[in-house]
Amino acid sequence: MDSFMLLLDGFATALTPVNLVYALIGVTLGTLVGVLPGIGPAMTVALLLPITFSVPPASAFIMFAGIYYGGMYGGSTTSILLNTPGESSSMITALEGNKMAKRGRAAQALATAAIGSFVAGTIATGLLVVAAPLVVDFAISFGPEDYFALAVLAFTAVSSVLSRSVVRGLASLGLGLTVGLIGIDQQTGQARLTLGIPQLLDGIDVVIVAVGLFAVGEVLYVASRLRHSDPEVIPVGRAFLGRSDWSRSWRPWLRGTALGFPFGALPGGGAEIPTFLSYAIEKRLARGVAREEYGKGAIEGVAGPEAANNASAAGTLVPLLTLGLPTSATAAIMLAAFQQYGLQPGPQLFDHNPALVWGMIASLFLGNTMLLVLNLPLAPLWARVLHVPRPYLYAGIMLFAALGVYALNSSWVELIILYVLGLLGFAMRRFGLPVAPAVIGMILGPMAEIQLRRALAIGAGDVTSLVKSPIAAVLLTIALLALFTPLIRKWFARPSRAA
Amino acid sequence: MFPVEESTGAAERGAGPAYSWRRPELILALTVLGLGGFVIAGTAGVTAAGSALGLGPRFFPVIVGSALLLIGLFYAVDVVRGGRGDPEESEDIDTQAPADRRTVVLVSVIFLAFAGLLNLLGWIIAGALLFFGLSVVLGATRRLHTAVIAILLSTCTYLAFVKGLGVTLPGGLLSGVI
Repeated sequence: MDSFMLLLDGFATALTPVNLVYALIGVTLGTLVGVLPGIGPAMTVALLLPITFSVPPASAFIMFAGIYYGGMYGGSTTSILLNTPGESSSMITALEGNKMAKRGRAAQALATAAIGSFVAGTIATGLLVVAAPLVVDFAISFGPEDYFALAVLAFTAVSSVLSRSVVRGLASLGLGLTVGLIGIDQQTGQARLTLGIPQLLDGIDVVIVAVGLFAVGEVLYVASRLRHSDPEVIPVGRAFLGRSDWSRSWRPWLRGTALGFPFGALPGGGAEIPTFLSYAIEKRLARGVAREEYGKGAIEGVAGPEAANNASAAGTLVPLLTLGLPTSATAAIMLAAFQQYGLQPGPQLFDHNPALVWGMIASLFLGNTMLLVLNLPLAPLWARVLHVPRPYLYAGIMLFAALGVYALNSSWVELIILYVLGLLGFAMRRFGLPVAPAVIGMILGPMAEIQLRRALAIGAGDVTSLVKSPIAAVLLTIALLALFTPLIRKWFARPSRAA
Repeated sequence: MFPVEESTGAAERGAGPAYSWRRPELILALTVLGLGGFVIAGTAGVTAAGSALGLGPRFFPVIVGSALLLIGLFYAVDVVRGGRGDPEESEDIDTQAPADRRTVVLVSVIFLAFAGLLNLLGWIIAGALLFFGLSVVLGATRRLHTAVIAILLSTCTYLAFVKGLGVTLPGGLLSGVI
């Protein structure tokens, strides 16, 4: 009940007129940018991060929560209305959603996505309220070796689960870890890998890395293979659901929520796996009309994955807020946002800044409601956004990328660094290296280093002190399993592929 | 690290030989390998000041560097043996199209020129030129229309961010005017 009182306090913070306006701005901007094709949730958050800098922390995080949910939501509109494959987490929605839209049921597809996101988001945020204090109670006793083991688990899980090729996932992780090393060592004050460039002494700001890998990398990649035909956008009116659609949707919403939340909370879980599982389960459970329609645009195939997608977004916040552990690229950028304000998510955050944390959680509930109210009538407007001519869209992304990075330190050298990271992002896209491990490695790397050195210092340099605590031993074992399971599987699969 | 330099996607998608040293992805793999060496060599000058336990500022970089060497090696072997990643899919990407090297180079040149000239020209002029240049390179056909949008966009962002959000952007040539 304690957390219930704190949540009420959070609502008191979030419901002030100023903060409501920030939440509304966040939700609207998040959806608007998220709807734009080629821009996934992670890039949305990265591009909009600089806007929050001039706002006090509590309001900034309320705005940020809106951007986070808005960006998630915007992506599904794109995949339903636009007739081309999109980024992976909303690709499953596109399978049935796009076919529904083509058959003239775009309004219903968007409505089941919007209401499903609302239902899943609300339930999952409720689960977050229940789960967060429990995890905090558990994590309060964590020592440095436990945090190090957690980071290692996040590294291996995100590298091997999110990528079809483990070595490519690890390569991406290594690139991120290297970027994280640049700058002054926090414990001894020694400069590392700065190449004598003074701007590198403070390290490369995470905004530059995220914007470079996501935005500039995407623009260069698009430049190399731009689809020159006009985009086919399916026209849509006001989104609504008929009676039969309601009865077909509510069970998939709940099942999707149940799948999405736990997967979102796991390292390397992300949104891809639960959305895919939800799609497969709904397909198996489909009876009657649904069975006939599956593959041609069944509403269950939109309702379930969309709910799973949103529930996993809330699930991601559990390890992020309670342990400071990002499990997706978007979460890694959120962690960076906390660090910009000198805040370190973890058990202490709930003790030291309860107003901020609970204000943010309360605004997740509000943001969800705002999204529902905004998106049902505004669907035709978002559909118009999809018509933005592509040259303007990508030129605009570059302009805002440059703006966000220049706004940090007014340095043109950082624009060059941005470009170099953009080239790296381009190469990674071109050759199928996942971007998420790089972002997580860059943000979590320095933390892993500090905890590792602390743990070894306490253990007087004895390596076995890293596995002395049972929690650390279990986490490291899971980390190794996550790394080697795909390798072993591949080893057995190889002879058949070569033949 | 400049993957644009080499072969087009179409040629490589063919049923080429399983073993090849001429894959563009090899450059990325070798970059990872080289970076491993760089991390280890580049931190050689960082003297472990405090601790006698080997936990100084070089401890973690050496781990990361060694891991990069190992990963780079496996990656290179995988590429040479014919492994490949799937190019990322995105709404506006035509994965079947051959790589358009020229556009990538032009986009790069325009952006780098923008970075170099920003402080001199100021945000409004440099930003408008950036938007205009990139739009034209990416296929905008109506020049006048594009130019108007470019000027509007850079002026509006300047006003919104400098006057509204208190962000510092260079005034440049127009600093007295606006």
